[in-house]
Amino acid sequence: MSLPSNSDVVIVGTGVVAAVVAEQLLDAGLSVVMLEAGPRVSRAEIVENYRNLPLGNKGNAIASYPSKPWAPHPEPNSGRPGDDYLQVSGPNGIGYLQSYVRYAGGSTWHWAGTSWRLTPEDMRLNSNFGVGRDWPFPYEELEPYYVKTEYKLGICGPSDEAEQWPQGVPRSAPYPMPELPFSPGENKFTDVVRDKLGLRNVHVAQARNSGTAYDNRPACCSSNNCVPVCPVGAKYDAATALGRLEAKGAKILHNAVVYKVETNAQNQVEAVNYLDPDKQSHRVTGKTFVLACNGIETPKLLLMSADDRNPNGLANSSDQVGRNMMDHPQLAYKIKLKEPYWTGVGPVVNSGIMETSQGDYRARHAAAYFRFNNFAQNRFVTFDTLQQGLVGKALDEQLRHNTGTSGMIVAAHEILPDPNNRLTLSDKKDWLGLPKPAVHYDVGDYVRRSAEEFSGPMIQRIAEAMGVLEAPKTVGFRPSKHIMGGTIMGTDSSNSVVDDVCRSHDHANLFLPGGGAMPSTATGNSTITMVALGFRAAEAIVQQMKAGA
Amino acid sequence: MMKKLTASLIFGASVLLSPLALAAASDDPAVIAKGEYLAEASDCTACHTQEHGGKPFAGGKAIHSPVGEIFATNITPSKQFGIGNYSEEQFANALRNGVAADGSRLYPAMPYTAYAKLTDEDIHALYSYFMHGVEPVDNPTSETVLPFPMNLRFSMAIWNTLFHDNKSHQDDPSKSEEWNRGRYLVEGPTHCSTCHTPRGFMMQELGDQNLAGAQVGPWYAPNITPDEVSGIGSWSKAELVEYLKTGRIEGKAQAAGSMAEAVTNSFQHLTDEDLNAIAEYVMSVPAINNASEDRFTQGEAGNQLAQFRGKAFDAETEAEGARIYSGNCAACHGYNGQGTDDGYYPSMFNNSVTGEENTSNLIAAIIYGVHRETEAGGNVFMPPFGDQPNALNSLSDEQIATLSNYLMDSYGLASAEVTPEQVAVIRAGGEKSPLVQQARIGMAAGAAVVVLLLLGFVLRRKRRK
Repeated sequence: MSLPSNSDVVIVGTGVVAAVVAEQLLDAGLSVVMLEAGPRVSRAEIVENYRNLPLGNKGNAIASYPSKPWAPHPEPNSGRPGDDYLQVSGPNGIGYLQSYVRYAGGSTWHWAGTSWRLTPEDMRLNSNFGVGRDWPFPYEELEPYYVKTEYKLGICGPSDEAEQWPQGVPRSAPYPMPELPFSPGENKFTDVVRDKLGLRNVHVAQARNSGTAYDNRPACCSSNNCVPVCPVGAKYDAATALGRLEAKGAKILHNAVVYKVETNAQNQVEAVNYLDPDKQSHRVTGKTFVLACNGIETPKLLLMSADDRNPNGLANSSDQVGRNMMDHPQLAYKIKLKEPYWTGVGPVVNSGIMETSQGDYRARHAAAYFRFNNFAQNRFVTFDTLQQGLVGKALDEQLRHNTGTSGMIVAAHEILPDPNNRLTLSDKKDWLGLPKPAVHYDVGDYVRRSAEEFSGPMIQRIAEAMGVLEAPKTVGFRPSKHIMGGTIMGTDSSNSVVDDVCRSHDHANLFLPGGGAMPSTATGNSTITMVALGFRAAEAIVQQMKAGA
Repeated sequence: MMKKLTASLIFGASVLLSPLALAAASDDPAVIAKGEYLAEASDCTACHTQEHGGKPFAGGKAIHSPVGEIFATNITPSKQFGIGNYSEEQFANALRNGVAADGSRLYPAMPYTAYAKLTDEDIHALYSYFMHGVEPVDNPTSETVLPFPMNLRFSMAIWNTLFHDNKSHQDDPSKSEEWNRGRYLVEGPTHCSTCHTPRGFMMQELGDQNLAGAQVGPWYAPNITPDEVSGIGSWSKAELVEYLKTGRIEGKAQAAGSMAEAVTNSFQHLTDEDLNAIAEYVMSVPAINNASEDRFTQGEAGNQLAQFRGKAFDAETEAEGARIYSGNCAACHGYNGQGTDDGYYPSMFNNSVTGEENTSNLIAAIIYGVHRETEAGGNVFMPPFGDQPNALNSLSDEQIATLSNYLMDSYGLASAEVTPEQVAVIRAGGEKSPLVQQARIGMAAGAAVVVLLLLGFVLRRKRRK
């Protein structure tokens, strides 16, 4: 495929942020080239990959996406190219073993679609509680971009204000689709936590077509297969947008591993260089550049692109690139219930207790939100049930019983930006000879205090209220796979990487929209905030290019 | 001045010609509402409103005909671009005779051969609706440019002489009021025969094959005569009414393509009384047997998963069709082709699509998907698998042929065979008519279109005898 030289905008990445930015630019009449490190595959292939997995591996979201040698993504203990791709260290290193997908369409291929907004409080941690960082603008400024995101991705959510998150904060537009109904298990859970604990379990706003077609995609067929892949495209993933982008004129090149971003004498970005699977190098020039290749690959690429003018890497005069790596440290608890609850009808995450995530306690410890996952439990209980040595009808009955009475409750925490939680370039090299990313990670005392004083005890109360056979245990902090912080946003160019529109402080034609920019994580999943920032960045790019800057 | 003079001359002539000319468009809300109902029954919007949010009746939509693209015109009361200057008589002349106000001939993509049945009273209501109930849209539409010799619109006058019967509907006193109403609706406004009756060499409907099934672009409008085997004789009238309301009868059939549009835009809005009348009449037309197998009862549940499950996606398998089904279709239609209990996702067996010898609808449903929306049946959307931007997966002609053969073998009429070439034809919008080519050859031989037309004329006279 021949690439047009000197496109208006070169975008590295084809995930949700890249796709949304690209479409805004195309709609504004700009020419766009998108570069994807990994392959472009059909949905059918991923669906069949999943179905062909042995049962024991079906819970591994990444197993249906074998990485290519030239575009490894983390695949721990797989024997595949991504086996030890992401090097982790530190007290909670194992809690930062992220999974993301280097395929055209990116990691929304296997997201659950959960779309919590931030709250006004979430964006002012420092002013309100003396911890973390404030956002450079208030919630009211982000709100219209949330609406754009909800309409672009097709997010269903409750029309009842009492059910909406954030609560008591006006929305400027309703959700484009109604919320999905609860499963039997979620109904019971909602009643139990309300009646016994006075907590409100609310509908998740989610990027999924609820009972209707939307954006020329079908309605959710309730396959409970959102992770690792929606087989029918009812859940938004960026792969569903790529055809439309091409119809609007975007050039999308896959198997193009960008390894260096080049600057010119004015320290503006001039080109990106990529390697193809034959290890041949190519150069793509443009006027404006967007790196939207996920919270790990974007800072990695900036560090790899160090040159004489930018000896610590591009956009890194502040030395903050790759620092402040964040996620939502998660404590998951398997539970065995006295009475059947039955999860599994509908999407895998369909409700949550959000109100616990706000309050003055955030001065002392991390906020957390709690949820009862809606994964169908049969695949998780089958091995244990088989080991009971039952056969025939007795086996069927036991399987049924165990499926109904098993579940998982989760506490998802916020985390503070800590410059010591840092991504660096490892000495180890991947198949193309490019450095692997290394991350040092410690969830920190703020989160540990929450687990000790707040979220851990709360989980026990919830479990008790639900009626468990024994007090649930957790294996410790695990990643939520919401990668944030590595190109952090701020007004002060000496301690942040991008400004309030995700433009690099150091290079006026380089934009880094996405999770990397988020100065605070709150507790809810990061995707719609990343996309909202993408909309904001796209607007700034169009303005800047029209002004001829 | 000249224009005015001409207009008044035409007006004067009209007065002499027709009682209609005396009537002005009525602004009586009841008449306008009746006109709106008739416009829905006639599904004017199917052609005259652009999909995806086009302004009502502003035209511009391309109708894919076997002889080329025909652009629907603006029929809003815009004086510059629409029909705002039409007198009621001119309006009637367009509907019944396919003649526009400027005297130019319409192509029979506009079903004036059916609308000729409309009564004066209904024409008046329609006229009143289009003059007073529709927003004028001052936008031009693309010119229709058909290939030579189809671009010679005057030739349509000869075609009309040969094939167009412009007598309006007359009740048959020997039949019930319901039957007569049904016949009026079927032959007139809802123009069923436009799609369901096969056409002859000159694109004229073949009267002796009324409603016996015909190809409409990529889709096949099946036999809807009351024949027990080939048609819908096994349906109850209540089922036919339900089908027209929802586009679906569980375990039998579902509407896609232009029938889905007709159900969405037109039939679901008709009164129960009218739908029953339609059923009453359709079930009384002459039954025509043209297939050996009943299309509603073929096939059974089953799968070939054991042949490829657990193997790599690109591993060789003899069950390639079953694998394509598994990756693309099974999430909704079931691993056994069983669909869902509520029928929202139809089963692959006992399905008129896989039970029909003509495999167009199977191929077209895969390539174009299905979309219909009714109050009674909800929003039904199957994504396309062609080259559309929103295709769930873009399947090749080869893959669609392999998949179709698997579906027909496992769940339908095993004898039917689908080739990649057939898929390519459906992907391109259906068979092109040989008419253009043959007319050109005819002209080159010095015989001209007229010969063909005369031939048609002779044939028609013979048939009448």
